[in-house]
Amino acid sequence: MLSDKELKTAQSCLEMALDAGADKVRVTLNRSEENLVATLNSEVDRVTRCCDSSLSLAIFAGGSFGSFSTNKMDEASLKSFISSAVELTRCISPDPDRDLPEPGRCCKDAQGGNELELVDPGRADLDPAQRISAALEGSIFNSVPPLPKGCKVISEEAEYSDSLYESLLLDSNGLKCLHSETSFDYGTEITVMHKGDRYSSYYWDSSSRLASLRPEDCSQRALTKAVKQIGSKQLSSGRFNAVIDSEVASKFVSPLLRALNAFSLQQNNSFLMDSLGKQLFPQSLTLMDCPKIPRECCSKLFDSEGVATRECPIIGNGVVKQYFINTYMSRKMHLQPTVEDATRPVMLPLRKGFSSSDVLSYVGEGIYVTDFNGGNCNSVTGDFSYGIEGFYFKNGECVKPVSGMLMTGNMLSLWSSLIISGDDARRCMSKLIPTLAFSDVDFSA
Amino acid sequence: MQQIDIEHFSLTPQQLDSLIGEALGQGGQWADLYFEDSRWFDLLMRDSQVSSGGMHSDFGCGIRVLCGEKTGYAYAESTDYASLLDAARCAGSIASQGSGRSLDFSLGKAPIKGVEVPPKKGYYPMEKSWDECPAAFLSSFLTRLDERIRSLDARVVKVVASLSYSTSKVVMYNSLGELTSDFRPLGSVSVQTIFIQGGQSRSSSVSQSFRCGAEMISDSLLENLSSRAVKNIDRLFEARRPKGGTMSVVMKAGASGILLHEAMGHAFEADFNRKEQSVFSSMMGKRVCREGINIVDDATLPGRRGSLNYDDEGVPGQKTYMVTDGVLTSYLHDRISAAFYGVAPTGNGRRESFRYNPIPRMRATYMENGSGGASLDDLIAQVDKGVYVEEFSNGEVKIGEGDFTFYVRSGYLIENGRLTMPIKDVNVIGNGPRALSDIREVASDLIVDNSTWTCGKEQSAAVSCGMPSVLIDNLTIGGEYAE
Repeated sequence: MLSDKELKTAQSCLEMALDAGADKVRVTLNRSEENLVATLNSEVDRVTRCCDSSLSLAIFAGGSFGSFSTNKMDEASLKSFISSAVELTRCISPDPDRDLPEPGRCCKDAQGGNELELVDPGRADLDPAQRISAALEGSIFNSVPPLPKGCKVISEEAEYSDSLYESLLLDSNGLKCLHSETSFDYGTEITVMHKGDRYSSYYWDSSSRLASLRPEDCSQRALTKAVKQIGSKQLSSGRFNAVIDSEVASKFVSPLLRALNAFSLQQNNSFLMDSLGKQLFPQSLTLMDCPKIPRECCSKLFDSEGVATRECPIIGNGVVKQYFINTYMSRKMHLQPTVEDATRPVMLPLRKGFSSSDVLSYVGEGIYVTDFNGGNCNSVTGDFSYGIEGFYFKNGECVKPVSGMLMTGNMLSLWSSLIISGDDARRCMSKLIPTLAFSDVDFSA
Repeated sequence: MQQIDIEHFSLTPQQLDSLIGEALGQGGQWADLYFEDSRWFDLLMRDSQVSSGGMHSDFGCGIRVLCGEKTGYAYAESTDYASLLDAARCAGSIASQGSGRSLDFSLGKAPIKGVEVPPKKGYYPMEKSWDECPAAFLSSFLTRLDERIRSLDARVVKVVASLSYSTSKVVMYNSLGELTSDFRPLGSVSVQTIFIQGGQSRSSSVSQSFRCGAEMISDSLLENLSSRAVKNIDRLFEARRPKGGTMSVVMKAGASGILLHEAMGHAFEADFNRKEQSVFSSMMGKRVCREGINIVDDATLPGRRGSLNYDDEGVPGQKTYMVTDGVLTSYLHDRISAAFYGVAPTGNGRRESFRYNPIPRMRATYMENGSGGASLDDLIAQVDKGVYVEEFSNGEVKIGEGDFTFYVRSGYLIENGRLTMPIKDVNVIGNGPRALSDIREVASDLIVDNSTWTCGKEQSAAVSCGMPSVLIDNLTIGGEYAE
């Protein structure tokens, strides 16, 4: 946990800024530790140790605003840095809409940092040998199961890491919030060769608890995914049903969240302008923000301003229920403030218990997208175009691997063609989006 | 070229040797130290007001120990000797994992045959120091830029512009006893503009970035950005998605260098090749495209975003021919891959900051002019049915398969050798080796683009990319399906 010395440093920085002439200040002290072991073909390839501390200041002085950060934490350096920061802030044009959040909106129940039980106390006892063992445990390079004829594993790169992240927020209105979390991560990328062609795939897992991490699954799944892509080809261009695997389905939710953010809306840089309260999505779509689930990845009690998070619908039965408006944008746009962004978006399943296989069976025929290769979504129009790989499926079964195709459309049109969603969102992801199925999607080759 | 002394980091040359000794004490074969003191400054203009700005500093030292191909890495955010000793021991513990294949790192010892040390002035022109440039001057540049853009097109409703610069003082020392330093400036200005016409919105994004001093904040930069921000907006309102499919593509000179970066450059990075993951890993010395095509990665173009006096392993910046006359002649090496292949490092060992170990990365990647003297119009005239792509955005590649994509903001259909319907928001997908072999013609109008290109391979790195106009067959364009 953050030491008393670190807490005092943050408090004294706040006071230094006020003494230097700031009218209001927010101080964020971040501290993290990470240990990482990477393996290549079942041998340790890289061992890395990271320890970071940084101090960020949001300074309000003479009606102007500036944001600053440093990792030089000795008192003399901080004093000089903060003095320069206040001076620079005064050179910026005054903006009457800049302010700290109202204390009444701020989080008051994050005083210890581990209220959401996101810290695995066992991390502190891990030694280098255990980390190396955890990294090698997931490797299958020396015990590859039988592969199709002519197929061999070219390389297996895996990475184990464990980290502790702690954050303290103080402001001159009396705010004090603490957040702590541990994270244990494992990911494997496997490349196989078949008849001179290479196919690679990746799988990962993450948990706030070491005991919940499943390294042994990652390499096997990555290998299975790579092998299934052998012989992948383009299909002829056409309009197909599209099933998007839960691994990558957030690709179609992230643009919605960006478009609902006040920074986009205020700049007319959103395809969801004036959408609040409107039925723009199918009734079957409900997207919630569920930020306070104990022990779950990405849960957090407050945003970067210290505003308390809460469970709320973002899109409820197809109706846009929430914009994300921080203090600055709320004053600028004359709208009620909310949290600054979705913390832990969760899309409610249309069919309880449905897996990706169930979705494929339900839809029958189309293209099952398991990975994306680049692409973009135009933030103003919602037009998108993404490179994809996956499978052509028929009668609910994958019949041939597909790659080198492009999926093209418009976000609003796509969502209006939602057929069904599964109940298989991965808990380790920052957005919990299940497998999705859409009708009549353009694929080019 | 400004020299940075190790005293800047409150250490003596003797202490550097002691740290290297400590790092190698457990059996490592190579050790290096990377000291960094970086500062950033930024201003943001929104709604015609420069209403936020900031300053950031980052300071520390990364210590790397190599044992064969294996890496131990640790860093400290201060340069007090005790913290550095602790980091050195931690990095040195990699030796307990054994070396695997033993490597000879002395091939990278300066002077490297055929590689010149950077010229006295270095590759970063610095006529005017950023530190002496008043915030008010930079702020007024942004407000003038806003006024200029709004004066050029009545449909402009929003302009968001940012101006940032950074200066990094870097000192590197290694177990060959080589002490190197670099002072790296980087200035950038980016503008996003939103237009409304008849209830429809369109946007443009333009940027410029240089490794130089504050002299870049000039009237000519203002004119460059403002004119490009509003250029072709009429066409964007008319543009449509084309019918998708496989066709010939003419790529305009300049930013089309993203094709090289994604489709070929990454796959030429030597780490992917020594691990046999790259589609080019068994093609050294073989023909990868037609005769006359040269593809280079160059750190020596003065003032370019991707240029470097020294890479982050202390190797002098240089111009590396990856493809010479159509034949693959070099990968892009850091010290590990250079030792692995038994060649000299090419100066491509780069890192985002002292927090990261260096890996092979591109610098300014471009194709040299074609020898036939063709123009852009000549290329377009050769296409019966295809696409001309003019403005590009992000790209991505799958190293093993060689499949790449990049996003096209705008362009035209080509029909019977003429530009016809404006197009927008499509992706181009192809395969690196196939695209290389499908280059039909290269024009003689090379432009190295100065936009804020940032490569995201594990770590962020400022790069440049460029290309003459090229005609490539058999690329897939995303679009609507025609029954």
